[in-house]
Amino acid sequence: MRVPEGSIERGLRRVWPLVSLSVILTAVVLLSDVLGEPLLKRTIAEALIKLIAVVGIYIFMGNSGVLAFSNATFMMIAAYASAWMTLLPSLKRFSMPGLPGFLIAAHLAPLPALLLAALLTTLVAFLIGAAILRLSGIAASIASFAVLAIGYTVYDNWESVTMGTSSVIGLPMYVNTHVALAWAIVSMGIALLYQVSRLGLALRASREDEAAARAYGVNVYYQRIVAFTLGAFVLGIGGVLQGHFLGILTVEAFYLQLTFITIAMLVVGGQASLTGAVVGVFVVSLVTEVFRQLEKGVQLGDLTAQVPLGAEEVILGIIMLLILIYRPQGLMRGREIPWPFGKSVAATLPTLTRRVAP
Amino acid sequence: MTQHADPVLAATAPAGVASERLEVSDAAVKFEGLAAIDGVSFALQRGDIFGLIGPNGAGKTTLVNVVSGFQHPSRGKVLLDGRDITSWSAHRRGTHGLVRTFQAVRLFRAMTVLENLEVAAVGAGLGRRAAERRAYEILEWMGDAHRALDRADALPYGDERRVGIGRALAMAPRYLLLDEPAAGLGDAECDQLMQLMARVPQDFRCGVLLIEHNMRLIMGVCHRIHVIDSGRTIAEGSPSQIRNDPAVIRAYLGSKSERRRARN
Repeated sequence: MRVPEGSIERGLRRVWPLVSLSVILTAVVLLSDVLGEPLLKRTIAEALIKLIAVVGIYIFMGNSGVLAFSNATFMMIAAYASAWMTLLPSLKRFSMPGLPGFLIAAHLAPLPALLLAALLTTLVAFLIGAAILRLSGIAASIASFAVLAIGYTVYDNWESVTMGTSSVIGLPMYVNTHVALAWAIVSMGIALLYQVSRLGLALRASREDEAAARAYGVNVYYQRIVAFTLGAFVLGIGGVLQGHFLGILTVEAFYLQLTFITIAMLVVGGQASLTGAVVGVFVVSLVTEVFRQLEKGVQLGDLTAQVPLGAEEVILGIIMLLILIYRPQGLMRGREIPWPFGKSVAATLPTLTRRVAP
Repeated sequence: MTQHADPVLAATAPAGVASERLEVSDAAVKFEGLAAIDGVSFALQRGDIFGLIGPNGAGKTTLVNVVSGFQHPSRGKVLLDGRDITSWSAHRRGTHGLVRTFQAVRLFRAMTVLENLEVAAVGAGLGRRAAERRAYEILEWMGDAHRALDRADALPYGDERRVGIGRALAMAPRYLLLDEPAAGLGDAECDQLMQLMARVPQDFRCGVLLIEHNMRLIMGVCHRIHVIDSGRTIAEGSPSQIRNDPAVIRAYLGSKSERRRARN
């Protein structure tokens, strides 16, 4: 075996979006360490957790072009599952008497709990996906909205295991900017590997033209299930981290507002690239944070600048409208961060091990 | 050229074995009682270029949809090398070597030319790397390797149509259905396409079903021609037989004179 010329550069080009985005995010986190501002750190950790969720949405929605609303449900399922496995048994015996004995007794470390919770979510997503993804694009979107409503209603009323409308408290709060960053990089890695795999290629083809994709051997239903399920795994990670970042779980936190903001992030950044997902999270988080401060009121000398409550949502809605009207493919328009080390076309083409005719 | 001996590019079985054929038997499609095609039968040998012609609205596209699995026939069968595939889905037919192109081409627009062909190669069961190599080899075969990294929606019209055929070839088809590949092409581009097409059966060891309006192309490359009008077969034979068939002349001249009458 000889290594074909240019293959190392080719490999690097493939993973470049992941490398460049990871470097940028790491730099941001390190900068916040240096500044040591708790509010800034909190905002960054929240944004990174949102990023994981948006990357999970991107895996399905970005590659399939099918809008799905069930994302927050998968985050919720994972978050509660992790709570069941990490809360103190003595606490669960009182507050969640409906749990099976082995879950009440369980007291797992954060990492195994996270992985098990994400896997459970993956299984649920597989079953739901198998049921609803046979529908055509728009019908599947509506069905996924029904999944969101069902998930919310079930967890909101299933008092004996979710505590219903009361908050679940006492989750180990192990999530800081570093933990969130590590999982964000893992999530982006999963998304990138999927995107360059033959599975991702096939699904993107169906996004461009479903009939043509079917004619060229793509089983659209199967490919959509794969992405839906994989996306749910990443959404599960996001849900678990959110629970263990806040230390508190409420069913309400995994409903319409979260659904809207995460989809808005993906649409603003551009749903057809990983960089778009990251840019969307950054822009929307920034706008949200600025307006959250303005709603509280900001002292400027003698003046207090304050905007009415709810301005944050209104402004976000307006931004999303403007993007949809003027830049429907989002800020990144499906592009990744470009390879900065010169354009050598040969290196991007297949390295053919040519047989030379005698 | 090394492609002939390349097991990746060409399927292994020799062309022209008697049982290797794509057969349509008594196919009929009715839309709300109206017959788009009615009792059409033909067989295409592997290694042949088989022309399917007919005036506008004769049912050509409906027939292609039946063969490729995009339209379920109300009656009749499609047989692939003797196997009944009438109930198979489009993607399953594709993975078994029955591949079509589209009149409107339908490239994957936001993807590169190379990726367009890779999708088909992956669809035929290749791994990512082998698919990329086959895609690139076919682009070289067509003389379009320099376009490999261009986005499909940036291609000029003629190139777009050629890439559409390349994408179908990337599945290593045993039978290739070309739905009006020359639509809208100028004479020079059409000649170029004709030369390319004439090489397909040999280089890819496949049979070609060519649906066209362009008589020059049909008469230039087809070994046999099947003519339908108003959903029914009116003739089948070699190009010279078809050129002199009274029923064919009537169908074409008739429709032309009617058109003339409608204009005046």
